[in-house]
Amino acid sequence: MTANASHYLNRFKAYLKIDQSIRDDAAQELYAHLQDKTQELEDSGLSKEEASSLAVQSLGSPELIAQQLYETHAQGSWKEAVFGALPHLLVAFLFASYYWHSIISLSLVLSLTVGTAIYGWHRGKPVWLFPWLGYYLMPVVVTGILLLSLPQGRGWIAALIYIPLAAFALVHIVRQTARRDWLYASLMLAPMPVLFGWFLSLGAGTGVLANDMWMARLQANASGIVISFIALAVATIGFIRLKSRTHKILSLLTPPVVILLAVTLASRASIDPWGWLILLFSLLAFAMPVWMQAKAYQ
Amino acid sequence: MNYGRELLKGNTDSLLLCLISRQPTYGYQIVKELEKRSNGYFQFKEGTLYPALHRLEREGLIEGKWQILANGQQRRYYYITEKGHNVLATRLETWQDFSSAVKAVIQPETV
Repeated sequence: MTANASHYLNRFKAYLKIDQSIRDDAAQELYAHLQDKTQELEDSGLSKEEASSLAVQSLGSPELIAQQLYETHAQGSWKEAVFGALPHLLVAFLFASYYWHSIISLSLVLSLTVGTAIYGWHRGKPVWLFPWLGYYLMPVVVTGILLLSLPQGRGWIAALIYIPLAAFALVHIVRQTARRDWLYASLMLAPMPVLFGWFLSLGAGTGVLANDMWMARLQANASGIVISFIALAVATIGFIRLKSRTHKILSLLTPPVVILLAVTLASRASIDPWGWLILLFSLLAFAMPVWMQAKAYQ
Repeated sequence: MNYGRELLKGNTDSLLLCLISRQPTYGYQIVKELEKRSNGYFQFKEGTLYPALHRLEREGLIEGKWQILANGQQRRYYYITEKGHNVLATRLETWQDFSSAVKAVIQPETV
């Protein structure tokens, strides 16, 4: 392969954020085209370098081809979209039906989430997997926060051991996900700012789970919580069904940011500095992959 | 906006299906055939052909299969499917009706 062709195909592959096997196939197809074109131009009397350079020019912009291929392949089916939105709808259902009180319901949803996430992870990581994976990771993050709120300073000792391990696992999964596409990492982390927004705005603090007042506030805000998770489900369906990358980003970013802003501004007095820090972290973790992908495309 | 380019864009799928229905073929050959049969009228950036082929494949109208040539080179040959044949037949019929109607309006004396 000439340097021209190699450079061209590398640009093409770097820009095309779709399933690796489809991307490799498409690159191989373009390479076969370049070989044929180069050979034809060489037969007409051009040098190998000139022929290769002209062949690359005749193909056109690798970014444009990648963008058009992305729009062809990035649109998931309605089945994938609904399955991807299902974990958000399950959470909405838990709050709408007050089943979040029941350990059995929570255990069932948790088992379903874990099972689906593991199944999808080992089945080629389809797009519907990532929202499930987000909820699969949520207990890891929530445990860390709860450990911080343990009394008599013990929490800090536990957190010192737990948080680095949890952060390591989280970063590892985000990196694995981002290797496929940065946007999938945001799709995965979308519930995080919404959950933390609600969690902290309801006055979470020491002894959260035993606090009746907190439970009553949660109950009183159940309809708002339900609407938030339905909005996340709609955003997920939009993300999977839309073709354009820009539209996907807008569909993904808008609901969590709007929900988080609305919830926190409405109850900013009840959030302590640690709470703001957690919210900032969750928002950054959610939005960072979008920023990374924008940087990668420059 | 270039009118000719718009017309080509609107009929790319039919042109590709038509060529592939005659014989299984690959990207580069399609470009050459389009150029030859249209006497050089259809000119475009060759790479933009591939998204169109992939779209047709996703719609189930054609199917791509890799073949290894004697010299080791790999090529992806496209075959038309049953669904592709049906869609092509409908589109050709529509196109012929449309073309006759346009001709009847523009050049009534020749119809």
